Amino acid sequence: MSWNRVAVVGAGLIKFGELFDQSYEQMAAGAFAAAVDSVDHGFEPSQVEAAFVATQRGTLWGQEGIGGNTVPSAIGLAGIPCTRIENACPSGSDAFRVGAMAVASGVHDVVLVIGVEKMRDKSAEEGLLARAAAGHPIFTRGETAPVLFAPFATRHMHEFGTTREMLASVAVKNHYNGARDPYAHFQSEITVEDVLASPSVCSPLHLLDCCPQTDGAAATLLVRADIAERFTDHPVYVAGFGVATDHPYLHEKSSFVGLKATQLAAERAYAMADVSPADIDCAEVHDCFTITEILDIEDLGFVDKGKGGVASLDGETSLTGRIPINTSGGLLAKGHPIGATGVAQLTECWWQLRGEAGDRQVELRHGNALQHNVGGRGSGVSVINILTTNQP
Amino acid sequence: MTPGVQLLAVGAAAPSWRLAATEVGAAWGRPGGRGQAAVCAPDEDTLTLAAEAARRALLASGLQTDIVDGLWWGTSRPPFAEGPSHAVLASAVGLSHRSGGALFAGSSHAGIEALFGAADAVGAGTVRVALVVVSDAIVPGLGTSWEPRAGAGAAALVLVSHGGAASLGARVTRTHPYLDRYRGDDETATRDLYDPRLFREEIFLPAMRELGEQLGTNDIDRWSLPDPDGRLGAALARQLDAGTPASASVYAALGDTGAAAALLGGVCALDAAGTVGIVGWGGGRATGVTITAREPVPGAAAVADVLKGGRPATYAAVLQARRQLVASGETVPMGVPPQSAQFVRGADEMLGLLGARCVDCGTINTPPSIHPHCISCGSAKFVLEPLARHGRVYTFVVNQTMPAPFVAPLPLAVIDLDDGARVMLQVTEHEGTLEIGSEVELVVRRYAHERGAPVYGYKARPYAIREDQ
Repeated sequence: MSWNRVAVVGAGLIKFGELFDQSYEQMAAGAFAAAVDSVDHGFEPSQVEAAFVATQRGTLWGQEGIGGNTVPSAIGLAGIPCTRIENACPSGSDAFRVGAMAVASGVHDVVLVIGVEKMRDKSAEEGLLARAAAGHPIFTRGETAPVLFAPFATRHMHEFGTTREMLASVAVKNHYNGARDPYAHFQSEITVEDVLASPSVCSPLHLLDCCPQTDGAAATLLVRADIAERFTDHPVYVAGFGVATDHPYLHEKSSFVGLKATQLAAERAYAMADVSPADIDCAEVHDCFTITEILDIEDLGFVDKGKGGVASLDGETSLTGRIPINTSGGLLAKGHPIGATGVAQLTECWWQLRGEAGDRQVELRHGNALQHNVGGRGSGVSVINILTTNQP
Repeated sequence: MTPGVQLLAVGAAAPSWRLAATEVGAAWGRPGGRGQAAVCAPDEDTLTLAAEAARRALLASGLQTDIVDGLWWGTSRPPFAEGPSHAVLASAVGLSHRSGGALFAGSSHAGIEALFGAADAVGAGTVRVALVVVSDAIVPGLGTSWEPRAGAGAAALVLVSHGGAASLGARVTRTHPYLDRYRGDDETATRDLYDPRLFREEIFLPAMRELGEQLGTNDIDRWSLPDPDGRLGAALARQLDAGTPASASVYAALGDTGAAAALLGGVCALDAAGTVGIVGWGGGRATGVTITAREPVPGAAAVADVLKGGRPATYAAVLQARRQLVASGETVPMGVPPQSAQFVRGADEMLGLLGARCVDCGTINTPPSIHPHCISCGSAKFVLEPLARHGRVYTFVVNQTMPAPFVAPLPLAVIDLDDGARVMLQVTEHEGTLEIGSEVELVVRRYAHERGAPVYGYKARPYAIREDQ
């Protein structure tokens, strides 16, 4: 495969949380400013040639259709080419991939990838939970977000003996990391007992097995690798990416102990980046629910199928473990503003690879970090990006 | 006499909840109260009961549903005051698009009217196989003396021109323009009797006695008699020297089942040879008919099991299910309005529960309209077929967190049906015992009440509950 190499020279986000005092536009402006400020040698906003915006669900703040024009206006760049990418929970990571392809193709030298999501302008009942009444009037009625993943937990527990304590250990670890991430929605540690004692949301998942509803925005600046030195002495490169789809309804799944979309996307991303799971120093993976992280680390090849629960309980995925997972706090503690999530995960990977993750810094052995999202109806879309400090 | 009208099989259904009279009495500060009534859970109504009774009668008959010529349905309150009540039930029962029949409504006499409508069509030779369904789910006035007895249930009868185990016999009828129990055009609850003494002495007993004595000239072995208040039935039986009517067991288990009452009482008496005298009442009319069984009628013996089921419900839960107690605040509208194109495209596959079997690899794709290509092999060649109605839970969840109008806990299960199809459906009548591998059967239930329209589809029900069936 022949493509122009792409470097990430800037990345940043705003503090995630219930940002009742900020508009969609203000969040976008904040994330863009953070990315611009992060560029070591300085960055002129006017250098942005094109932007790719990830926003998954404008209906959560009363906007039926959001094109690509809202963000350029909000960040003072009205007039630039801008496209909105919507690809379910991986919207942010897919916008990054599309932005990278725009640079890799040679069409653009400098692009902005920005993810913005307003999740809390509506009440929970009229917001995310309203999807219980969306979709097919019979065959998906009652299908809130946890319903997409809880059947996998039921089955994973049945087939592999995974326990609620093992699920809880994922939340405990991610809240621990989130308490060390100033941008995380939640800033405090929790215990296994806290998770077990939290109210049932959708059995077998309890409240602390679930990510919160969070407002947020994040941005990255991508340039052609051969001009990266104008912006920084410590560029991080796009090593590869992978995208895959699966059937969109749960009853069409043949397995409930793994996500085929993730498995296929991983195969493609590892092949493109020419790395294996053992070459990854840390990963930001999609932990919308505790079970999701367990499925992810198996599907991404970090642990054997069926061992995700035990590995989590044993600390293999902690900051100092064999493969640190979700050092930022993940979706569980940092939050899941859908369009912003993937871009924020990539920002964490960028910080880790540049050694800028502070208390959360992991040991760098290979210089590779992996970012992953999975979602959509039936968890049928997965996007994976792999970043590296290794010169292409 | 109705020449040549035979009864091939019968079926019955009762809703899943029972409300004790003491629960109602306690709410209104009244002492005691005896007995119980069958009440619909939030996803049950007169149509779901009708569908279940019809399915059982058709199974007992051994007939394929597509040879049924028509559906004659009697219910005092069809699910649509105006609308496709009859067509939805016909579709849910699996009748052909060419099937006919009629809907009788307006009073608890509607059940008998449906029977006669069907019998006359069979007798006249215009149809060969007629399905009669009588059902009701009464919504009584709050605080009325009738309230603790207002029940729900359904019965179904398959009529043919020859070859049945029983035949319809004599009919007698009386009509008087009196107000007994009624519901005005703009009212949701049925009003109770104005003056119980007036009703007893001047309306009910005189008419019933006259009618019963005339019917009684036919050597009746067992009776199904109306019992509007829990005492009049016994009084009438004494006057007719009828012993304990067969219908007493139905009233004791289910309460007053309205338009279903007369035939429910009748079909449970058809489990042995003999003549049953059936009297229906309501809306100023009273009608009697005899059915003579030469041998036990298929399906009749199972009616007793239907009467045994049900689990206790609180008064508050019952009021909510009847929409007499409604939470304030907004409810989340269904993403797809029930009048819209998706329901037109999906009518057969939703109510008929169809799958598309791939001609090339055999995989069943559900629902067909969203699968132009097979999920297993990509082929575009399919044959449509009804899905199996029985299977096992592969995995499941119990959703506890949903906005109104959803009610938690709501189990959703991925189910492997006996024909190899995999579906995901809501689970109803679960007792918190759902497990991987649990046996379930699929039944018609009301999924929502949207823009005034009931929306029906299949749900999974733990099979063990009705293992007797």
